[in-house]
Amino acid sequence: MLWYFRSVGLRRIIEFILLTVFAVFFAGPLLNLAVLAFSGQWTYPDALPHQWSLKWWSFVLQKEDIAQSISLSFLIAAIVTGLSIVLCIPAAYAFARIRFPFKRFFLFSFLLTHAFPKMGLYVSIAVLFYRLGLMNTLLGVVLIHMINVLMFMTWIPTAAFRNVHAAQEESARDVGASPLRVFRSVTLPMAMPGIAVASVFTFLNSLDEAQGTFLVGIPDYKTMPIVMYSIISDFPSSAGAVFSIILTAPTLILLLAAQRLVSADVLASGFQVK
Amino acid sequence: MTKERKQALWGLVLVTPSFLLLLVVVVIPIVQSFIESLRNEAGGYDLSRYEWLFTDKGMRNNIWFTLKITVISCALVLLIGYALALYLRFSPGKLAGWIRRTYMIPMFIPGVIATYGLMNLLGNHGWLSRLLLPFGVTLPRIIFDEKGLIIANLWFNIPFTTMLLSSAIAGIPGSVIESARDVGAGKLGIFFRIILPLSYKTFLVALTFVFMGVIGSFTAPFLIGQNSPQMLGVAMEQVFGVFQEREQAAAIAVFTFLLCSVLGFFYIRSMAKEEAARM
Repeated sequence: MLWYFRSVGLRRIIEFILLTVFAVFFAGPLLNLAVLAFSGQWTYPDALPHQWSLKWWSFVLQKEDIAQSISLSFLIAAIVTGLSIVLCIPAAYAFARIRFPFKRFFLFSFLLTHAFPKMGLYVSIAVLFYRLGLMNTLLGVVLIHMINVLMFMTWIPTAAFRNVHAAQEESARDVGASPLRVFRSVTLPMAMPGIAVASVFTFLNSLDEAQGTFLVGIPDYKTMPIVMYSIISDFPSSAGAVFSIILTAPTLILLLAAQRLVSADVLASGFQVK
Repeated sequence: MTKERKQALWGLVLVTPSFLLLLVVVVIPIVQSFIESLRNEAGGYDLSRYEWLFTDKGMRNNIWFTLKITVISCALVLLIGYALALYLRFSPGKLAGWIRRTYMIPMFIPGVIATYGLMNLLGNHGWLSRLLLPFGVTLPRIIFDEKGLIIANLWFNIPFTTMLLSSAIAGIPGSVIESARDVGAGKLGIFFRIILPLSYKTFLVALTFVFMGVIGSFTAPFLIGQNSPQMLGVAMEQVFGVFQEREQAAAIAVFTFLLCSVLGFFYIRSMAKEEAARM
């Protein structure tokens, strides 16, 4: 053994061990859920289930409130994404292209959504919603989901619009295109990757949002993560694992589809000025 | 109307809807909850709700506990995040390529799911303890303990921090580092003299996000924290939802704002400066 270590080099070995720890740390919990979801019986201290089965899948899928929560979650995520596109993309275009008074003030006001600890902000909103009668309403839940996405839904597209060279727009104008036509055929398509990333991020963020919904949407608006809270306490861990996979699947599918577009640079532009 | 006036008007029209939304979901709630937190039980206005935060023994423990977990988590997250970002930048190997492709995935995994996975993996009789059993290793209590909370915070925050720092470090030209190496700078020297100063602002952004993320966290402490002391996020939810004391909950919320206000201020200011430099 010893000659092997020496030939590979101590540095490589340490690197390998550290990375293994790292991979186990991040992949371990997810892998564990994947194994649990397909296990029939798994008693302590077996390292692997001694019986595999799909029975928990049919159990979970047959529960009515679970099926309802799935459609509710997707409905809310779709509303949140649509609404934030309609509200934020025009603002992003204005920030990137138009000169207007107090531009910097407006741009930086969006930082406020991330300048407060989340649960504190949610409780403040709940106090307000309680007064306005928005507790336990669809509008209340949608509004609380919008908080998290307002900033990157504005900032990522702003960065994307800025990256479109003004010269390209001008040359389109020169050959006689109207401003609207320029926006539709030149600016928008070129900024589309950024807008798409922000939208995907928004959709996923809304699907995953648990804390705010838990505070504002109880008892009628049980989205998937909220149902997950009760599954964790009420059902065996295999049922929880099955539902975890159902909840994570849309995330993984959307991420894979948008894989080419998602990069550290694009995402980082949603949280800081670069 | 001149062209400029028209443009200015257009800009304001385009920005107004999202700004109004911001007012409704952030500014008004915060102002309102500040006012609410000053209301005492008799209906008058004073600081009694805040006094309770520091006189109630359980609440005082919660505050210390939250601060402790937050500071430890921040230190570990930033240390590991920097190390990882540097490794990804300077290692050409296949392994680094694999990590580069996958390290952002945890950012997109729902918090409930990740927490649940950690519960099953690290819990009493969990998978890890089963796997380590043949080697005669027994794990200490991790879940329902502060260790579990810190581990969950690492899980949630390291990918995000690494992402921010990677994008900052990628902006440092390789030639600068090469030339420092040529004149004989060591690895630590390069880090402290070049990389840290050049990525310092992003470091601040990352610190702000992790600090606020941990103080304002709910899911992980709700599911794997112990009953007492609690993180402030859980305590707040209980005071609001279970005890129905909205004024008291508002006071705790405002208190967490104060804890984060210094960092939040620096974050906004450094962003504003950066933007001013490029406009």
